[in-house]
Amino acid sequence: MATLSRFAPVLRTTLNRGISSIMVKRDSSNKVYGPLADEDRIFTNLYGRHDWRLSGAMGRGDWYKTKEILNKGHEWILGEIKTSGLRGRGGAGFPTGMKWSFMNKPSDGRPKYLVVNADEGEPGTCKDREIMRHDPHKLVEGCLVAGRAMGARAAYIYIRGEFYNEASNMQVAINEAYKAGFLGKNACGSGYDFDVFMHRGAGAYICGEETALIESLEGKQGKPRLKPPFPADIGVFGCPTTVANVETVAVAPTICRRGGSWFASLGRTRNSGTKLFNISGHVNNPCTVEEEMSVPLKELIERHAGGVTGGWDNLLGVIPGGSSTPVIPKQVCEEAIMDFDGLVACQTSLGTAAVIVMNKQTDIVKAIARLIEFYKHESCGQCTPCREGVNWMYKIMTRFVKGDAQPEEIDALWEVSKQIEGHTICALGDGAAWPVQGLIRHFRPVLEERMANYAAANAVAN
Amino acid sequence: MGHPGEGLLLGMGATRAQSSGPEKIEVFIDDQPVMVPPGTTVLQAAAEAGVEIPRFCYHERLSVAGNCRMCLVEVEKSVKPVAACAMPVMKGWRIKTDSDMTRKAREGVMEFLLINHPLDCPICDQGGECDLQDQSMAFGSDRSRFLDNKRAVEDKNIGPLVKTIMTRCIHCTRCVRFASEVAGVEDLGTTGRGSDMQIGTYVEKMLMSELSGNVIDLCPVGALTSKPYAFTARPWEIRRTDSVDVMDAVGSNIVVNHRTGEVLRILPRTNEEINEEWLSDKSRFACDGLKRQRLVYPMVKDSSGELRPCQWEDALLVAGRALAAAQGSVAAVAGGLADAESLVALKDLVNKLGGEATCTEEIFPEDGSGTDLRSSYLLNTTIAGVEEADLVLLVGTNPRFEAPLFNARLRKAWVHNELDVAVLGPNVNLTYEAEHIGEDPAIIEKLLSGTHPFSQRLKAARRPMVVVGSALLSRPDGGLLYARLQQLAHQLRAGCEGGAEWRVLNVLHRVASQVAALDLGYTPGVSKVRNAPPQVLYLLGADEGAITREDLPADCLVIYQGHHGDRGAEMADVVLPGAAYTEKMATYVNTEGRAQQAQAALVPPGMAREDWKIIRALSEVVGAQLPYDNLAEVRDRLTEVSPNLTRYGDVEEANYFAQASALAQLVKGKQEAAPIDVPQKVLEDFYMTNSVSRASPTMAKCIAAIKKEAANRHRDK
Amino acid sequence: MASYFGIDKIFKALRIIRDHGGIRASLYQLYRVDDLKDGTLVGEDAMGNKYYENKQLTLGRNRWVIYNPSVGTDYDGSMVPAEWFGWLHHKTDQPPTKVAPTSYGWQSGHQMNVTGTADAYMPYSTTKPKVEAWTPPKAA
Repeated sequence: MATLSRFAPVLRTTLNRGISSIMVKRDSSNKVYGPLADEDRIFTNLYGRHDWRLSGAMGRGDWYKTKEILNKGHEWILGEIKTSGLRGRGGAGFPTGMKWSFMNKPSDGRPKYLVVNADEGEPGTCKDREIMRHDPHKLVEGCLVAGRAMGARAAYIYIRGEFYNEASNMQVAINEAYKAGFLGKNACGSGYDFDVFMHRGAGAYICGEETALIESLEGKQGKPRLKPPFPADIGVFGCPTTVANVETVAVAPTICRRGGSWFASLGRTRNSGTKLFNISGHVNNPCTVEEEMSVPLKELIERHAGGVTGGWDNLLGVIPGGSSTPVIPKQVCEEAIMDFDGLVACQTSLGTAAVIVMNKQTDIVKAIARLIEFYKHESCGQCTPCREGVNWMYKIMTRFVKGDAQPEEIDALWEVSKQIEGHTICALGDGAAWPVQGLIRHFRPVLEERMANYAAANAVAN
Repeated sequence: MGHPGEGLLLGMGATRAQSSGPEKIEVFIDDQPVMVPPGTTVLQAAAEAGVEIPRFCYHERLSVAGNCRMCLVEVEKSVKPVAACAMPVMKGWRIKTDSDMTRKAREGVMEFLLINHPLDCPICDQGGECDLQDQSMAFGSDRSRFLDNKRAVEDKNIGPLVKTIMTRCIHCTRCVRFASEVAGVEDLGTTGRGSDMQIGTYVEKMLMSELSGNVIDLCPVGALTSKPYAFTARPWEIRRTDSVDVMDAVGSNIVVNHRTGEVLRILPRTNEEINEEWLSDKSRFACDGLKRQRLVYPMVKDSSGELRPCQWEDALLVAGRALAAAQGSVAAVAGGLADAESLVALKDLVNKLGGEATCTEEIFPEDGSGTDLRSSYLLNTTIAGVEEADLVLLVGTNPRFEAPLFNARLRKAWVHNELDVAVLGPNVNLTYEAEHIGEDPAIIEKLLSGTHPFSQRLKAARRPMVVVGSALLSRPDGGLLYARLQQLAHQLRAGCEGGAEWRVLNVLHRVASQVAALDLGYTPGVSKVRNAPPQVLYLLGADEGAITREDLPADCLVIYQGHHGDRGAEMADVVLPGAAYTEKMATYVNTEGRAQQAQAALVPPGMAREDWKIIRALSEVVGAQLPYDNLAEVRDRLTEVSPNLTRYGDVEEANYFAQASALAQLVKGKQEAAPIDVPQKVLEDFYMTNSVSRASPTMAKCIAAIKKEAANRHRDK
Repeated sequence: MASYFGIDKIFKALRIIRDHGGIRASLYQLYRVDDLKDGTLVGEDAMGNKYYENKQLTLGRNRWVIYNPSVGTDYDGSMVPAEWFGWLHHKTDQPPTKVAPTSYGWQSGHQMNVTGTADAYMPYSTTKPKVEAWTPPKAA
């Protein structure tokens, strides 16, 4: 769940605006974004059609003049990242340049660390694994560049335990980079020492939350820490740490090579760049694709995924950013723009840009109930609202699937989800509450109808 | 074992005195301005303003977990409520502890806590003193929306002291944090995730700690309750008497909970200087020993040599006649539970009759300055002073079992202040890492001469402490070793940063009466009695078998005065039933030299009477009437002998280290080769150390449970 | 005439003394029951108590019992058995010597009130004592 770090409080204020703001305000230029030109692609081996090893990667432009980038100094790298307007790709969308610059406080003698969050566990999301198995050198080089930007001594890649092949490819790439002198002492000949370590998790969604990840990396139970202190002050092993998503780190070298302004020219302001979209569910051609930010949802589905199964009119709803974002119904999907601000305007969130498409043959209640079961299973149990509340929501949702409930319970469920949201230590509680809120917001009639049918059937039986 | 507190920097009891902290910042609690130092949490700032924020997981002596979410409060301009226990205040914050958002958040958390909490308050031992009950009344909703099934959790057997009803657990993890941070045992933890999370011992085993009872107090619900006290009483039926514990020389402050003439349980009372708010298991659970093996009527040996119950008059006459006939050949031995009042009365009586030997059972060397200088036999640094030390050398003591709360202090300083501990004696588990220097008594000499590798560490220490245990002092060569340690301490004192104010030398006593007895001029050790056996020997609660029938001539009459039938009463010709520590107004002086008052919670059982009154009555029968008729007059006499004995609550300064060290140089003797040893090495040795704990069925159960636990295949060997 | 001077009273007194067996015995009787009067022996019960009646005397003083001399002064009202109790207390005028009382198989023999004696009934507590006393070990 590279995604859990996403729900920064900044966004939450805007999330619950009135339904009136559903209509997306495009930029004044009325420009339509996408499709992405081939020369603007960053991940050129996304589908594994080429060699992923060092020679192939270098052929695609990786490790090109990395020394020069490093030698320009961390101010320059940070400047480029800031210009690019890159926002965290793990879900929260926090401006990367700003986050990395938090690390540039005067050192107190403790080493600094970059931790790469490769614990991609969010249902529907499969972007990081593509990078790690088909383009691992992008990430290794990214670690070096990002590490230089924040003055880190080493990078830890915390990779999800289930990603066996990805971990092995990454390790091969790291070994190759060491062998080629790109890592280790005097990395790339820049005079800068930098190490990259792999750490395989054991398959807990919560370990994708940045502080839980740090705990897990330290060998403890993966339970989120309280913030403050933030990891930038006290992170892994008590040292200043930045936790960044794989994709965020992997795009950094290309940004530095091609310039922040190039990256910023793609997508709308404050939502710039390219992004890996994962389209799954009821589409004819589920795929992961790199596309320009701010591409309309409909175009994304029609162009890259071969359209919704049974045609666009057969669309029921879309979960646009991985399992923890609220579902949006078809009429919202028509106009939705796939970037941070565009989806916030639709009362949902870009998250990891994992688009889960559901057509009209979907039992939406059952689908959401299944998501809640996932969150119930993955809740760490540390804090009360998540431990008790998600379990309760799951119990209610299982009854809703059958319709064995009273209509008043829909409001109770809504309140329960509101009692969880924002009251927990980490964002898992929010992530569990939002799918339910999306369901009630848009599909309340479905719930009520099912209850009525169940009541009628049982009345006959009695 | 790492420092568990490492990652938890917030809210930990920062104990080392803060030197003139930075400027205070202003925050507003419900529009009421308060000035607090930076880094203060919202909860602490609210407390400063007199606003109590509800909490379950937060505890000021444990690390902050922030997981119950009960303390959520609204902060102006923050979109979501913040956890007050963990969030440090920022300048100008406006905290609303009673706003709609705050109340809704609390109500929500309360509802979540209650959905899986059983409604078994009527059969729950926590009922009436339950945080969950109180807070749900104050902050919860008045109706339930929960229609599904509640969770049930299997109970765990974690020993004979703590009863678990795990279904009631609200997962605040206070017990887990206590065990790992304060008690220093890694036995408790959480397993499972989400709603399947459980608090437990991972595998079925016993919670092996001398402080385990404290988790009962910490548990905000009825998940952990007292096994011996189970289904005994409700808190509103109980009368509470503040008193002082006598199971060790620490003098923990306690509250005796009693009802209709029966001690039901003992709880700790906060005293930052001594026990903070903890209590050792022996002090807490040995109170059922007060109801067994009691001496409830006077007894006199009949012609067949058997003790027969009799009237006070008969017993006093027999004792009085013998005392009068002894013509000064009278001696007294005081045990570990004797109070200062009876000690002074007994000493006065013996002296008045012409006797000289008034001894204590515990041994303290007489060489050098002996017990003449008060500073030689006190824990001079004080218990709280441990938190300022940076190096502690334990010599011939196992504080974990001799003084569990002193050890808890050491551990606290080890965790938070980077205190280093070194042990000279057996390598026992102290619950924290301690450097084991060795067991050879010759090391002391080397340390003094500076030839031992550890000497450098001692010299470099800014505030070193040398803690000498009574096990070392009772060695045949204890006098010599102690003299060398006195010299060493004096040497260290000259070099250390603390200067004249910092006292290096500390003696850790094992029994509650020792310091008061020495203050009153008792002779430590019974060698005097053994060398010149008296015609009448008066035992005041002397039950440790320091002197036996075999040491005395056949015609010697032994008078035993005390509250339990133990070794002392068994060898007595006349038994005078006295009062236990819960039954008398009495003065006890702890190992720091701090006089404290025990209060009478009950009346002594049967015909038993307060101890000093018995001696006073006897003195009249003998014809050597003591000149005090009431407690105030006895205490006047105490003040006359040693004024510190009635300055309750204070530690009296004692500061003659230079003189003691000079006298110590004169001590000569032969050093024994036997390694330094301590009597209490493992937990099993902890539970029964005096007549009360030996009579306690609970303590017996503890020992049995530990014996059984040895066969547990899950326990690390 | 003799009654006019009250001499008959002297005779009566002398007779009573004689009936009681002499001066010494009469003094003992006075000491024992604080009374000396003449009456007819109505009967004697199983325990040797003797019952007298003198109809001349005023009601309430006309029937009395002289307890078995063996108890001395240590007598008690409850020594009167139930069959004599009724006659003695004027519940009936038929002493058991005239009308034998009905006896049933379930009747137990008469027993005097044992209060204050070693046989007295002492209620005892069934609860455990709060404090358990120490019992000294037996001398070897």
